[in-house]
Amino acid sequence: MASRVSVKGKGKSIKGSKDGSEGHSTAKCLKDWSNWALKKAKVITHYGFIPMVIIIGMNSEPKPQLYQLLSPV
Amino acid sequence: MAGFVPPPAPPAPPAPPKPDEKVDYLDLPCPIPYEEIHREALMSLKPELFEGMRFDFTKGLNQKFSLSHSVFMGPTEIPSQSSETIKIPTAHYEFGANFIDPKLMLFGRILTDGRLNARVKCDLTENLTLKANAQLTSEPHMSHGMVNFDYKGGDYRTQLQLGNGALFGASYIQSVTPYLSLGGEVFWAGQHRKSGIGYAARYNTDKMVATGQVASTGMVALSYVQKVSEKVSLASDFMYNYMSRDVTASFGYDYILRQCRLRGKIDSNGCTAAFLEERLNMGLNFILSAEIDHRKKDYKFGFGLTVGE
Repeated sequence: MASRVSVKGKGKSIKGSKDGSEGHSTAKCLKDWSNWALKKAKVITHYGFIPMVIIIGMNSEPKPQLYQLLSPV
Repeated sequence: MAGFVPPPAPPAPPAPPKPDEKVDYLDLPCPIPYEEIHREALMSLKPELFEGMRFDFTKGLNQKFSLSHSVFMGPTEIPSQSSETIKIPTAHYEFGANFIDPKLMLFGRILTDGRLNARVKCDLTENLTLKANAQLTSEPHMSHGMVNFDYKGGDYRTQLQLGNGALFGASYIQSVTPYLSLGGEVFWAGQHRKSGIGYAARYNTDKMVATGQVASTGMVALSYVQKVSEKVSLASDFMYNYMSRDVTASFGYDYILRQCRLRGKIDSNGCTAAFLEERLNMGLNFILSAEIDHRKKDYKFGFGLTVGE
């Protein structure tokens, strides 16, 4: 939610300065785009890193069984 | 002819270089990475002291992959403005997964309050290594991430570091003789508008390691570790901040015995600490930690058990 609000706010200022220098708006676009990409990457890493490690581990040789993941032995 | 001085005898054919005679300056060993320059001193003087109860269980599923479960209950210190220490009792469970391969290492730990601690180390080529490190939380603006590119040359190492909050750092360390290596680093922190430069030197032989580090942030750190025998090493450390006029000196010991490892230290801040890891059985370790700060009147005692290799 917070990221959507901030993108909308920056969109308004871009429209205002569009008749100004084009260079500024492309730099701002790039910055907004990279901020959005970093936020998405952070969420993906936060939720997906441990499952990714588990998937890589379960597919390594020798393949462990699924029950070994949950049992305490 | 009589006055002719015979030329001096040609030098003897070069004997194989004895260890203490000829140094081949083109074939020096690769130095220790810059951030590990104080490694021996840190191992002896800064063990992972904790307060409360700790239980770690590591379960290996195969050679490379293992899961870990960890429970901690105890008071956690929170930073406070006054000189009094404020402690809040906390309890958390931490789940972790590790994947260790010669070329790729993945390490992830997640706590019950949603904090993730992730580390990745990948050998892109034989000499270039990528390391990434992240602490992510659900709270906004409290997450940190850092990426390092390490290049290892014949007798030097360089590292480039990029972090969030516009943090850039670079370091370089070079072996100058078989025992001495010198290095330097620069960093620039955009968010805090700080930049700094630092230099370090490390002299190590089989029996001792001496390191010194100076930084433009005002820090001067010197350390000396002497390996007295196979089982015992003694370490001492001196830290001085010339901006804030803060001085700390500490002295510690490290006993690595067959069944246990005991580390202890005493500080010039009136703080003494000890850390014992006792091997009760194969894969079962008992840990005791104690830290007594006489100046702040803060006494911390902890015990724990570690199961698994």
